[in-house]
Amino acid sequence: MAAPDELFCWEGDWGLPSVSTDCLVVLAYAQFAGAPLKLQKISNPWRSPSGSLPALRTNQKETLSRPSDIIIHLRKQKYNADYDLSAKEGADSLAFISLMEEKLMPALIYAFWIEPKNYVDLTRRWYAEHMPFPLNFFLPGRMQRQQLEKLRLLRGDERLEAGEELEKELYRDAAECMNLLSQRLGSTKFFFGDSPSSLDAYVFGHLAPILKSKLPNGKLQQHLKSLDNLTNFCTNILLLYFPKDGRENLSQKMTSQSEGGDFDHVPNKRRKQFLSALVALGAMLSYAFLTGMVSIQHIQHEALEEPPDLQDMGSHHNHEEEGDG
Amino acid sequence: MSLAAEAFMSQMAAAEPWPENATLYQPLKEDQILLSDCASSLAVQAYLRMCGLPVQVVCRVNAEYMSPSGKIPFIHVGNQVVSELGPIVQFTKAKGHSLSDGLDDVQRAEMKAYMELVNNMLLTAELYIQWCDDATAAEISRPRYSSPYSWPLNKILAYQKQWEVRRKMNAIGWGGKTLEQVYEDVSQCCQALSQRLGTQPYFFNKQPTELDALVFGHLFTILTTRLTSTELAERIKSYSNLLSFCRRIEQTYFEDKRIL
Repeated sequence: MAAPDELFCWEGDWGLPSVSTDCLVVLAYAQFAGAPLKLQKISNPWRSPSGSLPALRTNQKETLSRPSDIIIHLRKQKYNADYDLSAKEGADSLAFISLMEEKLMPALIYAFWIEPKNYVDLTRRWYAEHMPFPLNFFLPGRMQRQQLEKLRLLRGDERLEAGEELEKELYRDAAECMNLLSQRLGSTKFFFGDSPSSLDAYVFGHLAPILKSKLPNGKLQQHLKSLDNLTNFCTNILLLYFPKDGRENLSQKMTSQSEGGDFDHVPNKRRKQFLSALVALGAMLSYAFLTGMVSIQHIQHEALEEPPDLQDMGSHHNHEEEGDG
Repeated sequence: MSLAAEAFMSQMAAAEPWPENATLYQPLKEDQILLSDCASSLAVQAYLRMCGLPVQVVCRVNAEYMSPSGKIPFIHVGNQVVSELGPIVQFTKAKGHSLSDGLDDVQRAEMKAYMELVNNMLLTAELYIQWCDDATAAEISRPRYSSPYSWPLNKILAYQKQWEVRRKMNAIGWGGKTLEQVYEDVSQCCQALSQRLGTQPYFFNKQPTELDALVFGHLFTILTTRLTSTELAERIKSYSNLLSFCRRIEQTYFEDKRIL
């Protein structure tokens, strides 16, 4: 049996196996098709073979980056989640995937990267916290610029900027898309019967981040939560196919809550504060000693006998020092 | 367009009936227009004919710049200007003409999804072949696009457009695709459309909808346009029900005039 292919993807959070839509699509498809993949969950895109995430390194040392390419590769290896689909269902999959890419993806890009409050409070903070030094200083900003350019090219408007008008338009399209998906899903467990297919993977990848992340400006999230069948669809997939990730994050959340405060959550806060104070004090004292501002003299008995006469003591000490030095 | 402008436009549109002198603007048919623009224009013409709305086709060199969104085609109706198939469909709906009223919710969802499929795959493939394939760009696209202008403007505009399209291809992930892969995608798209059409006369059985107009526009243009290679047309010809679909719409709605 050949060694399994390696998949590099973003780390997970908020109960999800990964925070990026493309990574989630690939992970979900791999789970549905039962493909054995060696997962490398990293938060440094420079360590991936293609420079971006997700990336699949195959046995033949080939690197694939687009989710559609990765899925085609897995299908060729006989890990096919669409085996049972009829021809018409396959055609519908393609159509609905295109619908999501045209209508839902721009809204996702806007919600996570362009909307100022969301970007600063959630996205940039998450990436800066998880990336290693020194990437955390410039890479989130660079990713944001790339996403803004992508949105500009998608809309065909070079001077696009964040604003209420744009937000309303994008969210309206996204809401319509979610309504259409909800109508198509109906009351079935997955889009085409009882076993999931690639369309389910794509829908999960796009909707799960909206559902689970704690966006400050949560209009998309509210709309999604109002569509019960889509919400149940996502939580169902998480429970069935990604049980570990849900549980891990639940325990993390509980310990953090006991330390108090969402935004100031730093582990071992007291110890760090104490150590910082100690280091600062030590630095100040050593500077004082080295420059001679403060000096310790062993003249305890003189200080005890006479009343403190600072000038006398000062000149007396100086004489003493000159004598010794 | 923005939401407020759209609402205002619908209100204005509902007020007046469709005038006799509505015009559709596109670039010059013989020398200037490119495959993707021609396809979009034909789709709109087919849609308006299906609705029974008369429209005059006028060719102008600067149609692209006149258009409110920068895309071809656009129609001038009364004192309003609307571009692209999506907004035009909504505009005619506000005037009381609609082809998709008889569809139920699930069918409407499918129709919208398939329209996005055509836009996402066929239109993008057309743009790729025109501007990212060096042979086609040098032989056909750049000379045609810049034919009305004199040197050096023609060179500047042609390269600017090519650069813009290539950036867009990179942004959506098509930059790394080879021509073979693009042809494969077109085949896949045609296969999906063929499966959906089956043996029915139109996509939603008896009555044509905007999806039929869009598919007709793109497929007919690809079949009848001369490119550097016939690979694209060959791929479509392998689906016989799509061919008969195009012929049927041409005979039903375009029998009075030669299209191209």
